[in-house]
Amino acid sequence: MEANELYFFYGYSAAWIIVLAYVFMLVRRGRRIDSELTRLKSLVEDRER
Amino acid sequence: MREKKIYVLAILGTILMVATMYDILVVMPDEAQQGAIGKMLLVHVPAAFAAFTFYGVAVWNSIKFLIKKDFHADSLAVSNIEVAQVFTLINLVTGSLWGHIIWGIWWTWDFRLTSQFMCFMLYLGYLLMRPAVADATQRATMSAILAILAVADIPLVFFAIRLRDARMQHPSPVLETGKMDPSWWTPFLLMWLVYLLIGGALIMLRLRQETVRREMDSLRRELHAM
Amino acid sequence: MKRDLLAALFIARKDLRTEFRTKEALNAAVSFALVVLVLFSFAFDLERSELYDISGGLLWIIYLFAGSLIVNRSFTREVPNDCLDVLVASPVPAWALFLGKAISSFTLLMVVELVSLPFYGLFNNIIWMKTFWPHFGLMLLATWGITVTGVAFSAVTVNVRLRELMLPVLHYPLLIPLLIGAMEMSTALLRGDAVDNGPNLRLIVVFDAIFTSLSLYLIEFILVT
Repeated sequence: MEANELYFFYGYSAAWIIVLAYVFMLVRRGRRIDSELTRLKSLVEDRER
Repeated sequence: MREKKIYVLAILGTILMVATMYDILVVMPDEAQQGAIGKMLLVHVPAAFAAFTFYGVAVWNSIKFLIKKDFHADSLAVSNIEVAQVFTLINLVTGSLWGHIIWGIWWTWDFRLTSQFMCFMLYLGYLLMRPAVADATQRATMSAILAILAVADIPLVFFAIRLRDARMQHPSPVLETGKMDPSWWTPFLLMWLVYLLIGGALIMLRLRQETVRREMDSLRRELHAM
Repeated sequence: MKRDLLAALFIARKDLRTEFRTKEALNAAVSFALVVLVLFSFAFDLERSELYDISGGLLWIIYLFAGSLIVNRSFTREVPNDCLDVLVASPVPAWALFLGKAISSFTLLMVVELVSLPFYGLFNNIIWMKTFWPHFGLMLLATWGITVTGVAFSAVTVNVRLRELMLPVLHYPLLIPLLIGAMEMSTALLRGDAVDNGPNLRLIVVFDAIFTSLSLYLIEFILVT
């Protein structure tokens, strides 16, 4: 494949890889804070009792 | 309800993306002078436009926070800036790849690339500073001020480098959108829309995380008070 | 208005008096400038004519690094013993407080720059005396830009963890337009180029104007939280 077309392919792939990497980062962070939230909620409930 | 909105945006964005990509990759002929790589423009420039849209929304929300002290505005600001950074990165990487083929160099300090890069650096500082401030009000205020100072700086960077550019030898000019083949306008605008839709979905996801964080802050305060 | 300006000058005088008594920051900044000068001398092994090509860039990087030491301290030195809270609670308006701090940091930074300049000329064999007065004018304008943005960020990062790391990361990218103008103009002056420095000068003045007014306006929000 000519270098021209190869880089064209790289470029398009790069764009979507970056978006997917960010989605992955978001999902991972989301899971972490959701678990932290449940932990805090249960702590508050325990203290209330 | 919000989950539904996120899915709708993401799915719409993906469908439109597939359709546009098919159009660009298969249907459109290669660019006359540049070959296949010329079509990179349709990924590279709309990414910058999408990034600017999101930065604009973020700065607007930063100003809104300073005036109204509305924390939702602060959450919107940080979400928009994070997503805008993603699109700026896409713009820089695709631009670099395009430059490698057309100019034979990976990078040059011309006014467009430099101002994009400086924009990325300035808002990277914004994102780095946020976790370092403990108090929510202070964090939101500092962020808002940083966002405003950064946006005031970007035009100055642009003009500073452009001044210097006039005297320096630079690779042949970048394809101006004005000189773009008229048949390219539709895929161009469609790609911008694709980025806006996908970016919108990402922002809403991020916004949800900010809301959860604020809830966590209030729970921590409650625990501390008990 | 006049009373507020006098208050600003009073604050500037207080900071300058404390600094000139101890000279901690001044000594540290000048020493740092000299160390960076020496490092650059080893980093680049250039012919004298080639050195003139990078003269402006070199000079302003040295000033920037040394200046950070001075400018970072402007608000953070008020943190111990709650002095900052006292200042904010006083009848002095936030902009006057900011202006006073900016003036004192500006003065200190100019002292550091003027002290480092002869050493810079000595170590690099660069003749700076011929164009001293235009260069001094440039130094005044560019240093004000560095000071005003630096003091604003110092106020912003007062309560931030890892403050010393955050400040350069936030401050330096913002200064790029100013530094480009200053470096180009310095090189042109030191090299004796017959070039129109108007555009660069305009860039620096516009930068100063924009960021001085923005900082004066926004400082209220920064300090009152």
